[in-house]
Amino acid sequence: MQLNKATAAIAANPPSSGNKKISFFDKKPIVKQVKSSTLTNIAGLNSLITFTVLLLAWISGFASRLFAVIRFESIIHEFDPWFNYRATAYMVQHGFYNFLNWFDERAWYPLGRIVGGTVYPGLMITSGSIHYIFSSLNIPIHIRDICVFLAPIFSGLTAISTYYLTKELWSAGAGLFAACFIAIVPGYISRSVAGSYDNEGIAIFALQFTYYLWVKSVKSGSIFWASMTALSYFYMVSAWGGYVFIINLIPLHVFVLLIMNRFSQRLFTSYTTFYILGLLFSMQIPFVGFQPIRTSEHMAAGGVFCLLILIGTLKYLRTFLTKSEIKYFGGIVTGIAIILLTVLIGLTYAGFVAPWSGRFYSLWDTGYAKVHIPIIASVSEHQPTTWFSFFFDLHILVTTFPVGLWYCIKHINDERVFVVLYAISAVYFAGVMVRLMLTLTPVVCMLSGIAFSGLLELFLKEEDRDENSGLNASEEESEEEQEKSPGRALYDKAGKLRRMKHEKPKGNGDGLGSNVRNGVVFFILVLLMMFTVHCTWVTSNAYSSPSIVLASYSNDGGRAILDDFREAYYWLAQNTPTDARIMSWWDYGYQIAGMANRTTLVDNNTWNNSHIALVGKAMSSNESAAYEIMTSLDVDYVLVIFGGMIGYSGDDINKFLWMVRIAEGEHPQDIREGDYFTERGEFRIDSEGSPTLLNSLMYKLSYYRFGEVKIDYRSPYGYDRTRSAEIGNKHFQITYLEEAYTSEHWLVRIYRVKKPSEFNRPRIPISKRQIIRQTSSYISRKTARKKKGYIKKRPTVIKGQKLQKRIST
Amino acid sequence: MNFLYRLPFYVLEVPNLKLKKPSFFVKPSAMVVFSMVLLSYFLMTGGIIYDVILEPPSVGSTTDEHGHSRPVAFMPYRVNGQYIMEGLASSFLFTLGGLGFIILDQTHSPSMPKLTRILLISVGFISVLVSFTTCWIFMRMKLPGYLQS
Repeated sequence: MQLNKATAAIAANPPSSGNKKISFFDKKPIVKQVKSSTLTNIAGLNSLITFTVLLLAWISGFASRLFAVIRFESIIHEFDPWFNYRATAYMVQHGFYNFLNWFDERAWYPLGRIVGGTVYPGLMITSGSIHYIFSSLNIPIHIRDICVFLAPIFSGLTAISTYYLTKELWSAGAGLFAACFIAIVPGYISRSVAGSYDNEGIAIFALQFTYYLWVKSVKSGSIFWASMTALSYFYMVSAWGGYVFIINLIPLHVFVLLIMNRFSQRLFTSYTTFYILGLLFSMQIPFVGFQPIRTSEHMAAGGVFCLLILIGTLKYLRTFLTKSEIKYFGGIVTGIAIILLTVLIGLTYAGFVAPWSGRFYSLWDTGYAKVHIPIIASVSEHQPTTWFSFFFDLHILVTTFPVGLWYCIKHINDERVFVVLYAISAVYFAGVMVRLMLTLTPVVCMLSGIAFSGLLELFLKEEDRDENSGLNASEEESEEEQEKSPGRALYDKAGKLRRMKHEKPKGNGDGLGSNVRNGVVFFILVLLMMFTVHCTWVTSNAYSSPSIVLASYSNDGGRAILDDFREAYYWLAQNTPTDARIMSWWDYGYQIAGMANRTTLVDNNTWNNSHIALVGKAMSSNESAAYEIMTSLDVDYVLVIFGGMIGYSGDDINKFLWMVRIAEGEHPQDIREGDYFTERGEFRIDSEGSPTLLNSLMYKLSYYRFGEVKIDYRSPYGYDRTRSAEIGNKHFQITYLEEAYTSEHWLVRIYRVKKPSEFNRPRIPISKRQIIRQTSSYISRKTARKKKGYIKKRPTVIKGQKLQKRIST
Repeated sequence: MNFLYRLPFYVLEVPNLKLKKPSFFVKPSAMVVFSMVLLSYFLMTGGIIYDVILEPPSVGSTTDEHGHSRPVAFMPYRVNGQYIMEGLASSFLFTLGGLGFIILDQTHSPSMPKLTRILLISVGFISVLVSFTTCWIFMRMKLPGYLQS
């Protein structure tokens, strides 16, 4: 043993690093490594392993997000990213200040949109500054490529910040596990594949990093870390509306710590610094503005701030006041708290403090959106989550998540309270909305990392002990370290049970064969392998479709690309006047603006409900009523998505009921949802469907001339493959519009709205027709008999007369 | 200072009250907290909010070619839809798997006899295995092409 220790001492250092060694968390590898190679510096080795694992996590996370680029091309996906891309391109072209003042007259016609004041600019600034750096280094790179690859690159940064956060919470090993998990977990990949250029891609990094800094500042109680937290929070505010989650979770953490009687100076310093700085920073974003002091979402943070200061004052006064005086003081404190609360309620009632916004409110009262705000409920990612999504997005992690939670609750301390609260609130929010699965994913990865690290540590460590059949060297090692730094034994380190001397197992004291342990370890490894297989499969099959370019696979493995969207948008760009106004459902607003560069009426920034309802009303009324709305809105073209030809299920007929509902919310006297169902309450497009539906504009535009089409021999004419029904209204003409373009697979259909002069000609019986001619106009004298033509005003030459005079008469 | 907070009590008389923490209110132990969290996790992953909002039937039914109606436990092909029972069954499996891992961890205490330890390990092992494979099968029922292509 003595020899062993001596070797360790010599091998481990260059003497200067002797102290550094103590700061290691995991001491097992030290001993092993010392035995195997006496030449390597252990600190270096440890950080080399960390570095390698993180780098590999970054690379594999990056690589697995590239399915879409490899299969299709480097293209921006879906809907919202198109706007972000357009805004970024504008910013790069015109400069930041012009971007902030950008009034986009091509959206929300005739209202327009002040883009600078209604976006979270963090995403554009991030990619814009990357572009700036590259171009100042003379590396020419198109801004589109930066936008496409931004989210995969940030996923690596997310992995690293997750590593640091988990390391603060538990141990470095758990951190590495968590980093690897979050690099490939589908719940996060779903929002960060290459081309999905959206706020969430960078916001999850900002979220994790803010939490890391917060935990760090709670642990250290230093103003520096708290200010860093506020800075990182600033970045998060500039990047995503989900910053509200942070500004509620951190106060909740403080509040729970206060309830648990864990008040400390560290907590006081960090929270007060963070709150004040974070408040000021967040108000610098134009879109957020004065919201942090004026809306109810942010009030909890302010309340906790006041509470913390009151408690701090109380603790301070307690140092020199007697007990009875404190009692009076306590009464005063309660009184002040009650007064503040009533003032807050009064301000909310009077309208100075805005009540919760609809989106936020629908998180608490889950039925709220369905009843009151159909536009929020209509978005597919706002639907409540099913069990399938949990398993699909998290796989094995969904079972290890409670295990990590169990470890954390069992060994609770200040920062683990935080992760427990994070976990509980995120699970709840993920249950309410599919979209918020994204905020659950990081915490699941962290807790699963803790769980796996705990389990493997358990089963691998005992194995070690068996191998060193003598008394385990590590205990000796740690005791040696204790002597070196006596204060260290006072702290409990996570995940490591320090045994008392009498509890030490005697050699073969634990009755487990190494077979069982090997089995368990092998089994865990197999599970992890299945996890990676699942992640790759899900990424490749579910989350890597650009949804602008569709691919269909035939039975022999061939692949057909359906590029109808871009085809139609380019048609618009080429064949319509630049100021043409295009009406479509709001889903396609950003794409039309981004790809066709034409004016839209409504788009995915659904800020004006009544405008959307007007479009919904136009789509769901009959043709003549719709024409009135369309002329009042100056619509030139109407664009509908029709999937019945190829069986594409995300088309406008399937979204139609939402249009009706949203229109009904604003115009209940004109549109009633019940009219669009059959008597038995079904939504049918065949001949049994309700006549209101069969004559609505959307129906007609979707199925115009579709009744003449026969897809294959077995199906009848006009057979809709998406809804597997033969359409009910086959032979109709449309009066007020004319078909302008239909893409190759009929996916996009564009109609031109006729001007009133083109159809508005009342029929006049022949007897009453008058032909009005201008009197001076020329009438041909050529008749059927007289074929010979003549030249008008031909100079007739008469002898003895001047030519000039003749012409002038 | 002294005068200031005495001031209200020249008017008011301090009632002779003794406030005690009610005896039923004790700080819950870690395990009570954890079991509550686990219960809510069980309900959440089962999609309880989906059930509340959209009110699906507990078990679906279909009509086969003879015209008999047969119960269907899983809503196939629908990623965003579920019946109540399938949600509860799968969230039960998730929780079972989690408990299995916890049991695996619990085998560590040194005072445990060998037989108990082996029993515990096998119980943990089996529950994780069962949970995992059954979830796998559920996935295949839900999404027939799972891990195929």
